[in-house]
Amino acid sequence: MTARAGGVLWIARANLRSDLRSTLVNAAAATVGAAALAFFVALGLGVGDAARRMFPADARLVDVVPAGVSLGGVLGGGELDDAAVARLRALPGVEAAWPRLTLRVPIAAGQAPEGLRYNWPPGLTVQVPVLGVDPGLLAGAAEGGFSFEDPGDDAGPIPVMLSRRLIEVYNKTIAPSWNVRKLPMGLSLVGLQLPVQVGYSIVPQKTEDRIFESRLRLVGLSDRVPLYMLAMPLGTVRRLNREYGKVDAGYTQVTLLARRPEDAPIVAAAVRRMGFALDEGERATAERVGTVVAVTTLALALLATLMVALAALAIAQSLSANVRARAREIAILRAVGATPADVRGIILVEGGVVGLAGGLLGAAGARLAALGADRLAARLLPDFPFRPETFFSFPAWVPALAVAVALGAAILGALAPAALAARVDPARTLA
Amino acid sequence: MIALRAITKTFHDGSQEVQVLRGVDLEAAPGELVAIVGQSGSGKSTLLYVAGALDGDFGGEAIVAGRSLRAMSERDRAELRNRRIGFVFQSFNLLPGLSALENVMLPGVLRRGGEPFEGLRERARAALARVGMGDKATARPARLSGGERQRVAIARALAAGPALLLADEPTGNLDATTGEGIIRLFRELAAGGLTVLVVTHEERVSRAAERVLHLQDGRLS
Repeated sequence: MTARAGGVLWIARANLRSDLRSTLVNAAAATVGAAALAFFVALGLGVGDAARRMFPADARLVDVVPAGVSLGGVLGGGELDDAAVARLRALPGVEAAWPRLTLRVPIAAGQAPEGLRYNWPPGLTVQVPVLGVDPGLLAGAAEGGFSFEDPGDDAGPIPVMLSRRLIEVYNKTIAPSWNVRKLPMGLSLVGLQLPVQVGYSIVPQKTEDRIFESRLRLVGLSDRVPLYMLAMPLGTVRRLNREYGKVDAGYTQVTLLARRPEDAPIVAAAVRRMGFALDEGERATAERVGTVVAVTTLALALLATLMVALAALAIAQSLSANVRARAREIAILRAVGATPADVRGIILVEGGVVGLAGGLLGAAGARLAALGADRLAARLLPDFPFRPETFFSFPAWVPALAVAVALGAAILGALAPAALAARVDPARTLA
Repeated sequence: MIALRAITKTFHDGSQEVQVLRGVDLEAAPGELVAIVGQSGSGKSTLLYVAGALDGDFGGEAIVAGRSLRAMSERDRAELRNRRIGFVFQSFNLLPGLSALENVMLPGVLRRGGEPFEGLRERARAALARVGMGDKATARPARLSGGERQRVAIARALAAGPALLLADEPTGNLDATTGEGIIRLFRELAAGGLTVLVVTHEERVSRAAERVLHLQDGRLS
């Protein structure tokens, strides 16, 4: 005969209730372990999310630049001209190739964007660094019915795009230091027009002979735009460079889109073999930050797992002592019809209940501790760019993991005491 | 109800072997109250645990409620104890964390395919009432006197509706008056058709039995 499950639960509950002190101590051990695990994993995920917002590296993008030292056509490297772009586009694993070209004509802004209430500092003129990009690179980023195409000669405002991150950096660092108004976040900026002087430079020697008034219209925001530059359609940049007699010595950079993230290293290797170099600045930073976050999270999670293991040991020790002290009670259970399997089940359920309670409390405790830590950070840390609202991320699997690990560890800890209990000889114990 | 034939039992203490039972024969019919007397260490309790299917390591043949204990698995012996045998011990052996009612419910709680908890509770209440403890159902054992604890233990033994009641020095920890009450209860139970086997060294208990057997040198006489 094996007792019904309800009976085993009933007896386990009664045992836990009758030895409330041990139950609470064991549950507290499991709670601390589970809370630490959930807290650190959530912290790692949260910081990882923040790092990805700060360094939004696209795993499929490979940025190609001309090599510092090149043997030119001998090895197929040299300038990034249209022929080179065609060769790069034809590489296995490459889905698209988008050239970029620096605008070599200076552009400066001396007043605030139209339609934006902004306390532009009097007399301030800002040089606007512009990069021409293939519209394909920013496909889908244009909003508000605007297009990111060259408008042609005197055909109205020039469409431009900004990095989302620039707004954040501007609001958190530049605006406070200039004591000017912060920019609204998000797409409400789209459509704003910035009056500029094309050909004008704040460095007098670099100002062109011909200067004309124009307007730049913000048509979208994209993480594919370099942080401190303004993206303009490649055709516009080509046209302006040509109009001002600036001969293009090939493209500044070509961005390749790999078909799959795992193709990116293969494409990168092929690019190097062609004699070109890779601009890995942002990607390398993103990877470094990602690695640091992942390793730190792993280390903290291991530490938390160690705490859970210690909790399991504490539960094992406590339950073993408990089983030895309750040998007579176990013998009584045997006398009234419990099998060794029932007794084993009762002890395992006791461990499981402690682990489950500890896991649930730990998961809830981690959530509360995270809220507390976020509040503390909001009060103590300065408002730096990309500072997240929360440093924690709690997807459903994090508390589930904490509960499962605490439950598993407690049951694991209860295995030996359960075996000990099952071996109690009722006849000898009751004699 | 119970038939023991040529029961032997040997304990091993390191390299030493101590033979406690040396061929015990015993038969008890339904409704019979049998007392087994003997000195301390004579093996009375050991015999009781063999008869009660608590100890499966013995020689000879033991038949309880028509079933041979030697041929039974651990699970089957547990089921037999649960359904057909009730135990009463000298030190009551109630679970201290449970109330009187919960202690009485224990065999039913462990029974597979048993009745719902509400039914068990009712039966436990009836068993407590039968031994005069109906008003102490919620009390923990620590709050009960020795006699009351023993009555709860008897109620627990009876709640499962056993055919055989095995009592090991049931009055050993009780005063004379309380002990008399317990003995009277055993006689009533036997009169109701229950086979009662009482191990004792007290004359007042053996006097109440229909048959008194002496365990000496590992044999009954």
